[in-house]
Amino acid sequence: MFRKFYLLYGFLVLGTAAFGQYRGWSLATINQLKNVPKSVRDNPGSYRSVYGFYHHYTGGK
Amino acid sequence: MSAGTPPLSGPPKPQAKALNCPKCGAAIVLRSFGQAETVVCASCHSILDAKDPNLAILQQFEIKTSDIKPLIPLGTRGKLRGTDYEVIGFQRRSTQVDGITYYWHEYVLFNPYKGIRYLSEYNGHWNDISICKTLPVADFGGANYLGETYKHFQSAEADTDFVLGEFPWQVRVGEKAAVTDYVHPPRVLSSEKLDKEVTWSIGEYMYGREIWDSFKLPGAPPEPMGVYENQPSPVAVNVNGIWVTFIAFTVFLLALMAGFDMRAKKQPVLHETYLYNRADSKNEASFVTNIFELTGHISTVEVKTYAPVSNHWIYLNYALINQDTGQAWDFGRELSYYYGYDSDGSWSEGKQNDVVVIPSIPSGYYYLRIEPEVDPALPSIPYTVDVTHDVPAFGIYGIAFVALLVPVVIISFRAYTFERSRWSESDHPPMQLTSGSGDDE
Repeated sequence: MFRKFYLLYGFLVLGTAAFGQYRGWSLATINQLKNVPKSVRDNPGSYRSVYGFYHHYTGGK
Repeated sequence: MSAGTPPLSGPPKPQAKALNCPKCGAAIVLRSFGQAETVVCASCHSILDAKDPNLAILQQFEIKTSDIKPLIPLGTRGKLRGTDYEVIGFQRRSTQVDGITYYWHEYVLFNPYKGIRYLSEYNGHWNDISICKTLPVADFGGANYLGETYKHFQSAEADTDFVLGEFPWQVRVGEKAAVTDYVHPPRVLSSEKLDKEVTWSIGEYMYGREIWDSFKLPGAPPEPMGVYENQPSPVAVNVNGIWVTFIAFTVFLLALMAGFDMRAKKQPVLHETYLYNRADSKNEASFVTNIFELTGHISTVEVKTYAPVSNHWIYLNYALINQDTGQAWDFGRELSYYYGYDSDGSWSEGKQNDVVVIPSIPSGYYYLRIEPEVDPALPSIPYTVDVTHDVPAFGIYGIAFVALLVPVVIISFRAYTFERSRWSESDHPPMQLTSGSGDDE
């Protein structure tokens, strides 16, 4: 019973991996935005990244 | 036959024979129609010769405890695995291991056409036992019976310390027999040596609920305690077979990875080196790259950044923007590299390059908006941006590998712990298998 389940499960995992690879899945967390104005190309400063307030590492050991 | 008691199978209807104990005069009921060798008086605990018309007294024993009570009362009838049986005898046996006495119970079942079989019960674990029809072949490590190999489990001396009802042999209280058990779950093969006579029996594990249903006993059976020697594993699976399947899946996964890696276009679409100059960037640091085209099906985009930072940092706010749809993928990447020397010696941390794979980007015309932020101590720094279309994302394979591995590890662990519990009660406990094999010196 478990063997059948595992076979089915394994093929499902492989199928998902193959589908994900074909569809270009990745583990990176990327923020998606829609309808960014075309004016950004002429005026890049009109767009501000959501990551703009990142607190930078300034240390060392 | 009392009302409500199911009749035994086949004609004619058997009748129990009633006699009296020659010692105390109590009524003795013989249910086995001449098949019993001995019968025990429930009143005075005299063991009587059932073959003797006068029921000659063979032995009388003192009952040591009053709470020895069969879970299935004598005279109870039931259908066990399709055959009607009546409980005609009961005995309690014991063995001593490391100074601890273990008790178990055996029931003698009778059917006038099928003969005798037995049930044994230990801590809520039951076995349906019958005498072997052919002689098993035993050697040092195990035994073979009807083509099946049984592993040696335990050898011990069994003591009979309480008997009740009828027995198809000359039973005696205090009788000691050398018993050896061999297991092949759910079966157990047992040899019992009494004087020079060896009896082999084969038992099959039964759950208490099956016994209760067979004999229509009231209440619930006692809960099984621990793992019994021939108890079937709840992990009803060939663990080695599952590992083989896992290896096959892993090979398949590697083939999939190689196939997609070969198939991936890995097409460079942008390669630029920019210079951040603080003096030039006072008003607005952000800028956009040239437009590049992504072709084909929806796929990944890899953005590689390199900056020769040394005890500094640079942070790049990226936005990959589709110039036609206005859809944007916004992400930030930091490059920092620090090194030095302290009382522990030299140290370093961080890196001068970075890679990110952006998922599921449709085809179209794109550009990057880049907004650099740089360590205030740095007046200027160059950095290189490489954009590659359709690259394999290996993290997916890592997740798939773990997803394939986890159920196998869980099932193997469950099987291992169950078998460990089983064999810890044997003459071959797991600890003994791993210790004593080497010289500590």
